[in-house]
Amino acid sequence: MAGVFDRLQKEIDNKQKEGGITALDLANLPPALRRIMRLMLRQLQMNYPELCKAIEEMPEDQHLSRPDLDEALKTLSQQAWLIQIGKGEKAVYKVNLRRKAGSNLAGGIWSELDAKLKDNPDA
Amino acid sequence: MGKIISIHSFRGGTGKSNSTANLAALVALQDKRVGIVDTDIQSPGIHVLFGLDAKNMGKTINDFLHGKCEIGEVAYPVGDKAANSPGRSNLAGKKLWLFPSSIHGREIGQILREGYDVNLLNTGLQTLMKEFELDYLFIDTHPGLNEETLLSIAISDMLIIILRPDNQDFQGTAVTVDIARSLDVPKLLLMVNKAVPGYDYNDMKNQIEGAFNAQLAGIMPLNFELANNASKDLFAISTPNHEWSRELKKVADAILSAD
Repeated sequence: MAGVFDRLQKEIDNKQKEGGITALDLANLPPALRRIMRLMLRQLQMNYPELCKAIEEMPEDQHLSRPDLDEALKTLSQQAWLIQIGKGEKAVYKVNLRRKAGSNLAGGIWSELDAKLKDNPDA
Repeated sequence: MGKIISIHSFRGGTGKSNSTANLAALVALQDKRVGIVDTDIQSPGIHVLFGLDAKNMGKTINDFLHGKCEIGEVAYPVGDKAANSPGRSNLAGKKLWLFPSSIHGREIGQILREGYDVNLLNTGLQTLMKEFELDYLFIDTHPGLNEETLLSIAISDMLIIILRPDNQDFQGTAVTVDIARSLDVPKLLLMVNKAVPGYDYNDMKNQIEGAFNAQLAGIMPLNFELANNASKDLFAISTPNHEWSRELKKVADAILSAD
């Protein structure tokens, strides 16, 4: 079974490298999509039935019909903001946040800083 | 499910870390299970309020982000180790954990240089909520708006914005309030710190609540006693009858009474 999980993890890792959403992007999403993403950010990973149940349990004015939910999940997955593993009722969704980029400062600055800090073991 | 409370200020020097540490301690004293995460990776400081320094700090958020440990290993159990100052000694036996960021220059530099996996940070935050069965997780954010601050706001049940009665802070707070609203944060609280004594605090409260359309939970006065404490101890716990402490208690009560 370890082989199956390894393959799934590799698939998730590969998809995560493809992009992802930033927290600032969340602010620009339509309300329904943002609601799903906020839910997923807290839950990390949900299967389709769990998602349907969570949406149903939201306040009435935040409910989504099943076709609207499906459409929203399709949009989020196409953008690689959610990673979808499997299909239909068996689909599992995982949120995909974009990696925080490193500094654009010239490499020499970091080497210089590293060298200075290495001289001080407490740093 | 526990609540995530992010504490933020648009500008530095508002007393954010000091207020966060004291608020978390006040909530833990009500027998709640409380965590504090320092996501101010670039300029960490809240550990000082709990008597930690570079020499006695164990695993950090930086180690977790570099895959060197699990998030649970970062926990510093304040209630088990805190009995070394008048304020912190009151937390003995309380369920309060600090998850500090590294104070080592090399490790801060590594994060700045290489970036990090934001999915991993979020996974860590949600995991420790479950593993430690937290009622409240306080996130001490970096001032201004950056990736970890925006993530903290996006996953929060409540955002507390600290500001000074200063026009620069007012404008910055307006930006943060806009962002919080566009991220659908369910509850927004404001608190004023370093208010000059002698002002009409009721008038200040009305003006700020009117300007930001949000509840102002407390106005903490500028004072020498707190400055003299110099982050050596939890002032609101060691000096509960001080005006600053009484106002901060109002904010803690607002947190505890929120839906």
